[in-house]
Amino acid sequence: MIEDATPAAHGLEIVDAGDGRMIVSMGPQHPSTHGVLQVVTELDGEIVTKADPEIGYLHTGIEKSAENLFWTQASTVIERMDYLSPLSNACCYIMGVEKLLGIDGDVPMRAQHARVLLCELHRIASHCVWLGTGGIDLGAISGFFYAFDLRERILDLTELSGGARMHPNYLRIGGLRDDLPTGFLEKVDELIAMYYPRMRELRGLLQKNPILQDRMIDVGILEADDALAWGVTGPALRATGVPYDIRRAFPYSGYEQYEFDVVTRTEGDAYARFMVRLDEMDQSMRIVEQARKKLETPGPVMIADTKFAPPPKETIALSMEALIHHFKIVSESFRVPPGDVYQAIEGPRGELGYYIVSNGDNRPWRVRTRPPSMYNLQVLKKIAVGEYIADMVVMIGSLDPVFGEVDR
Amino acid sequence: MAVNEMPGGQFLLAKLDDVARWAQSSSVWPLTMGLACCAIEMMTATAAEYDIARFGSEVFRASPRQADLMIVSGRVAQKMAPVVRRLWEQMADPKWVISMGACASSGGVFDNYAVVQGVDTIVPVDVYVPGCPPTPDGLLYAVNLIQQQIRQGGRGGILARA
Amino acid sequence: MPSSQTPPAGATALDPTALRPDIADARILRVTPAEVRATLEGLKADGFALLADVGGADYPGREPRFDVVYHLVKLSAAARTLEAVGLPERVRVLCGVSEADPVVPTVSDLWPAADWAEREVFDLFGVRFAGHPDLRRIQLPADWEGYPLRKDYPLRGPARERTPRPSFALKSNVAAGTPASGRTAAALQRQIAAARGQTPKDGAE
Repeated sequence: MIEDATPAAHGLEIVDAGDGRMIVSMGPQHPSTHGVLQVVTELDGEIVTKADPEIGYLHTGIEKSAENLFWTQASTVIERMDYLSPLSNACCYIMGVEKLLGIDGDVPMRAQHARVLLCELHRIASHCVWLGTGGIDLGAISGFFYAFDLRERILDLTELSGGARMHPNYLRIGGLRDDLPTGFLEKVDELIAMYYPRMRELRGLLQKNPILQDRMIDVGILEADDALAWGVTGPALRATGVPYDIRRAFPYSGYEQYEFDVVTRTEGDAYARFMVRLDEMDQSMRIVEQARKKLETPGPVMIADTKFAPPPKETIALSMEALIHHFKIVSESFRVPPGDVYQAIEGPRGELGYYIVSNGDNRPWRVRTRPPSMYNLQVLKKIAVGEYIADMVVMIGSLDPVFGEVDR
Repeated sequence: MAVNEMPGGQFLLAKLDDVARWAQSSSVWPLTMGLACCAIEMMTATAAEYDIARFGSEVFRASPRQADLMIVSGRVAQKMAPVVRRLWEQMADPKWVISMGACASSGGVFDNYAVVQGVDTIVPVDVYVPGCPPTPDGLLYAVNLIQQQIRQGGRGGILARA
Repeated sequence: MPSSQTPPAGATALDPTALRPDIADARILRVTPAEVRATLEGLKADGFALLADVGGADYPGREPRFDVVYHLVKLSAAARTLEAVGLPERVRVLCGVSEADPVVPTVSDLWPAADWAEREVFDLFGVRFAGHPDLRRIQLPADWEGYPLRKDYPLRGPARERTPRPSFALKSNVAAGTPASGRTAAALQRQIAAARGQTPKDGAE
């Protein structure tokens, strides 16, 4: 069962460059690479002279699967890309399709406010995972439990509204699947009440922790012009000083109506990225509070056009048209007029974009993802050079990649 | 005289066997084999609300040499398949495998070129957990089933092959 | 998956990118591989410092067959306030690449971001990027054959293309031909009778 373990048997040869450099492969199974990442590092002692991340260990063919599913079905596989904030992926794709259909102006405001609320909650949930796992990488294991408990409360809300903790498929083209259940807003209030004390605890554990600061300050420094040249967006870019946030630069889903700050730092190191994400969680909660108020007014959550919106279940038994519309939407889906669109949102990792092409059919022709994690991870090739191998874990964590999105 | 020839020797050995199996089942240490979304629910199963540690899985070992249980959590891409196999081979006997989630069990929603249609085509699986992703409760139940298998004497991976 | 009643996916529009729906998402430029470098260098000099994405698309009914799509954002690294960022301009550059000669000059020297993105277009579509420092597969294993996101590549891969899709109807704990025990029908009768408030039929237990 164990094959010949010599390099020659694997088609490799040992090359001795004579200068003491060593090539070490970190991953793809590694406790701290945040998923299936392999970083082939060339080391001079403990200093990294070259870092070559190898991705593709989670390549799922999501874009090809989406081409073979209906427009509404495709959002199920697309949700599974950035699995830490699934509703963000679905929201972006759905808004792109709404633009192609020409109904983006008709999506009811209540649905848009609910999308904002849930996307911001998922941003906080994603940052909770980043915070917890980032702490574990450094040995700060207690923070993991506190952060994941906060995430549990958010997953409770996702389950209450959408039916599943992750991948609820709650957002639909034209609005939401159905209205928020009774008791949802009260649970949001409970979350808001527990959030601030919990963040104080987490900040108390980590923010001024001398060990964390020692390990993160001046590690993995990224300058603003390098960040843009490498396509870095999101908190990693804002930590270099450039306040590029899609919610402000290309507002969508009613974000013009919300008050929040775009958090930036200027140092560009891992600690700056850490602080930007922590402060961003507070800003997200600010948006959640505003969205919660806006959701007090009742209203429709789906456009009225029955070509796209399945009719309410109660009407199917009573109305022939409703039955026919339901049948056609479920078995054949609607067709989307031909054209292409690029829709971007501010995901937890940066500019999440979908380039969607329709050829007039009932299936997408092409769904190209602009994966923020892939570009953020690529910059590791630059920032890792000259750092210690022990800091590799800190740098990967501070860039916060999700491999479902990098590899798709 | 050997133990099994002594008066009461067979009884003693049987009791030792039970003790050994109880000890094994009470400290099944998983390997950190987190691949995709299911890995997040696996991490949640270690967190405070679901707490896998109360079932004995106190630590997740990164090194396959030190782990008893491989929880394949997430879709297995074609590129990752040989890695999963090699890690399973590196684990020392006795070892068990939980195939967590629909993707690991059968390819899940991804019936396409890129995903291995079930990790049981690569490694022998003892328990399958359905779900996309399964709730952490489902994973805990699977760990309980593994513990049952251990206590009942199956060494897993060898006897429970499909 | 779509049901058997779905109409076949027809090429209802051979070149969707030629139809401009009324969406103001970006300024669109269509170029040939010979023009693409000059166009992108010009855009970079014009302040488009962020190359958001390089992607590919396949239109088999059309000549040129492939599109390499560049998304750019006009953003300056010197911007430090929200007002300085403002509402940036987006540009989408569509470069048609023929199947006979699928080569495009690389832009990874202008924007290092393009490095992996171009490798991915090569990996999934087979479009080569001339001048790329390290053009090899990125998502798929190095020995993979074929370019999966091309429309003529089967979804399930060539090996499994003609194998039947899993059918849950075929798997059962009960061997085919086993006669019904009658217990299920009896239980159902009891349920219906209970719901109607009647006593169960004789013989059922």
